[in-house]
Amino acid sequence: MNHLRTLVTTLATILLTTASLLQASEPIRISVPASMTDAVKELAARFEASAGPIGIVINSGASGALAKQIAEGAPADLFISANAKWMNYLHDEKMIDPDSEQVFATNTLVFAGLLNPAITGMAAVTELERIAIASPKSAPAGEYAMQALEGAGLARALEAEGKLVLAKDVRHALAYADRGETDGAFVYRTDALRASRAVILFEVPAALYGAVTYPVALTKGGATKPAARQLHAFLTGAGARQILRQHGFGTPD
Amino acid sequence: MQLEVSVRKQQGDFHLAADFHLTGRRVGLFGPSGSGKSTLMHLIAGLRSPDSGTIRLDGRVLFDSRTGIDLKPEERRIGVVFQHARLFPHLGVRSNLLYGWRRTPAAERQIEPEAIIRVLHLDHLLDRGVNLLSGGERQRVALGRTLLTCPRLILMDEPLSGLDEVLKLQIVPYLNAVFSRFAIPLLFISHSLEEMRLMTEQVLVVERGAVQQQLPTESLAPAAGTAPAPEVVNRLRLGRPEPQGALWSYPWGELRLLLDRPAQGDENLFTLDGREILLCSRHPGATGGANLLACTVAAVHDHDHHLRVELQCGTQQLSAQLPARTGTEPALAVGQPLFALIRAGAFQPPG
Amino acid sequence: MLTLQPADIDAILLSVQVACAATLLSTPVGIAVAWLLVHARIPGKALLEGIVNLPLVLPPVVTGYLLLVLFGRRGWIGAWLARHDIQVIFTLTGAVIASAVVGFPLLVRSIRLGMENIDPGLRQAARTLGAGPWDTFCTVTLPLSGRAVLAGMTLMFARSLGEFGATIILAGNIPGVTQTIPLAIYEYTSAPGGDRMALTLCLVSILLSFAVLLISGAAGKKLERS
Repeated sequence: MNHLRTLVTTLATILLTTASLLQASEPIRISVPASMTDAVKELAARFEASAGPIGIVINSGASGALAKQIAEGAPADLFISANAKWMNYLHDEKMIDPDSEQVFATNTLVFAGLLNPAITGMAAVTELERIAIASPKSAPAGEYAMQALEGAGLARALEAEGKLVLAKDVRHALAYADRGETDGAFVYRTDALRASRAVILFEVPAALYGAVTYPVALTKGGATKPAARQLHAFLTGAGARQILRQHGFGTPD
Repeated sequence: MQLEVSVRKQQGDFHLAADFHLTGRRVGLFGPSGSGKSTLMHLIAGLRSPDSGTIRLDGRVLFDSRTGIDLKPEERRIGVVFQHARLFPHLGVRSNLLYGWRRTPAAERQIEPEAIIRVLHLDHLLDRGVNLLSGGERQRVALGRTLLTCPRLILMDEPLSGLDEVLKLQIVPYLNAVFSRFAIPLLFISHSLEEMRLMTEQVLVVERGAVQQQLPTESLAPAAGTAPAPEVVNRLRLGRPEPQGALWSYPWGELRLLLDRPAQGDENLFTLDGREILLCSRHPGATGGANLLACTVAAVHDHDHHLRVELQCGTQQLSAQLPARTGTEPALAVGQPLFALIRAGAFQPPG
Repeated sequence: MLTLQPADIDAILLSVQVACAATLLSTPVGIAVAWLLVHARIPGKALLEGIVNLPLVLPPVVTGYLLLVLFGRRGWIGAWLARHDIQVIFTLTGAVIASAVVGFPLLVRSIRLGMENIDPGLRQAARTLGAGPWDTFCTVTLPLSGRAVLAGMTLMFARSLGEFGATIILAGNIPGVTQTIPLAIYEYTSAPGGDRMALTLCLVSILLSFAVLLISGAAGKKLERS
């Protein structure tokens, strides 16, 4: 009986120590829209260079999908959305720290695909066989694309003819166009710049869609962590703006 | 029919080498299990191919390894009745019967379905599913099905082996009626001497993969070659033995039997060959080391070459096998009291 | 609760269409392959068996990707088809192929089991009664495998209704063209607010599956009685 007690005590001690160790080295988790993945990676690296080796785990996907994850309890300390809608959603769900909400980047919508001189504007898009967009239900890029298509009066026709291929996020949509599996994709300018074979075929007229703004905020949980607050401050600071512009984003200034 | 066979086949350790020439209408392939008769049947029917040799039926070459001829079973016009009927379970009796008939060219159809149905008494079975038929009915349908292809030769592969004595005795008349009415040659394969005697005129004796003898069936004496299996075998359930001198005394119903071997267990099975039971009309006197049972004759069955006598011994029953009537056996009227004499060493363990 | 958008009706109809097409097209092939595996004595049988069973052990996404490599515009088969103006990726055809490939091992397995249970003596009997190999197959082997074929088809149909991984990779998510029920549910669950619709579609899916099982059961009983 004494042996058993010793064993249990030892195990408990080991577990608790490990747990506290894990606590101490717990990384900051940031959920970012697909279009911002590369930019945030570089930002995170720059942040760690100055602030020391705090682990930063980047979770990227469509903004709506990310919002849903956080609403259902996924651990995230910071959240960036590619539109106001999903940030407002989490705001209403009381999941974020309202004081930390701030727009820190902007973007524009383009139509990208393998080189095709015939595609010069929105009207030409109807001639194509297949067009990829991010799924509008969960990705702002898709919503903006649908807004633009509706504004140009092309949405019904394309839907009826089954020409819209839905991707899970804007990077996936770009991949479809980049590989030539679709004839083009509505993506952000920043994504198109990173394509390996696809090029920007035309810029979508700004009048057709709402402004693409990226709000960033701390979650309720993140607001309690000093390291997370530091990262938030960095992201909204001057140093970050420079990197964002290098990646092709606009900055609110 | 003219059947010329000269074949070789190797199957694992078993080597078959058969050479024979058959003419006649009713021929038997006789031999113990494992002798190769079934293999030979498959080779003649075309279900398996010999390694080398020739097979000719009525002058037509069915197989010749030198010229590469190997007719497929459906081309050979040889009918087969298998041991277990092999009726098609998804077809009714009528469809089974007509299966081969429908595939026989009109010019070759010499037998009418109505005739077969009448001879084999299948009228009342025609609309039934085959799964509800008795063993005997299944064999009759199988026979009818094969006959309706009007083959040049029918091979019957142990067709009666799966049936009990009573059924066998019922089917044989059908077989005889059919083969005398529709003159189709028959090759009857069996390990039973009695079936040979009932169905064939000449016999090929097959043993260890070779045809050892070819002779008329009546010349096939029981002592020739293999000892035939006893026709009458008793299976006795005896109780736990007690030692009695050098022998062992077993309870059997209310009686006791002396055996020369012990056994464990509360219930022990033994077989007793019917020929080991000697019948005496008078008490034979002192019978040391043997069993003497008082019994009465319950029934007497005459078979071609033996007599089966059913005996009632108190509450137990025994069957004795006597050679066909010679005139010297005791009077065998039903109810006749007799003594049965059985030596202690006559009982065998089962199997 | 049970209101369905037009897009959802599309998804349901598409699912049924794809499952029916995949099952009906695969069944003859499945019967042939099962027959080969049971009866033929060809040298590459073990290899054939391996290839047939591969989709059963691979994650569907991997199967989908392999099909994409094969049928994509630059793939071995895809390039040849493109010359004849036939496209597989992002089409209903692609969805059918994805379901067919993924469900094929289930179909073959079931049919094979049924065929193996047929007494070979029955085929021998048929041959001696004048039926050639093809005749024997059609009149003896196939009818006696009926229940197994039906069971295989049911399995395959059910698998098709639920196929997601290979479908989304090969055929993509195109509403009205390739967005089957699983893809529609996935999309609904990708963003907040879609859970009610997702549940509705789940319910429809369950009802469909029940219907399939009932029909299959009834058909099976009918086969047994005959």
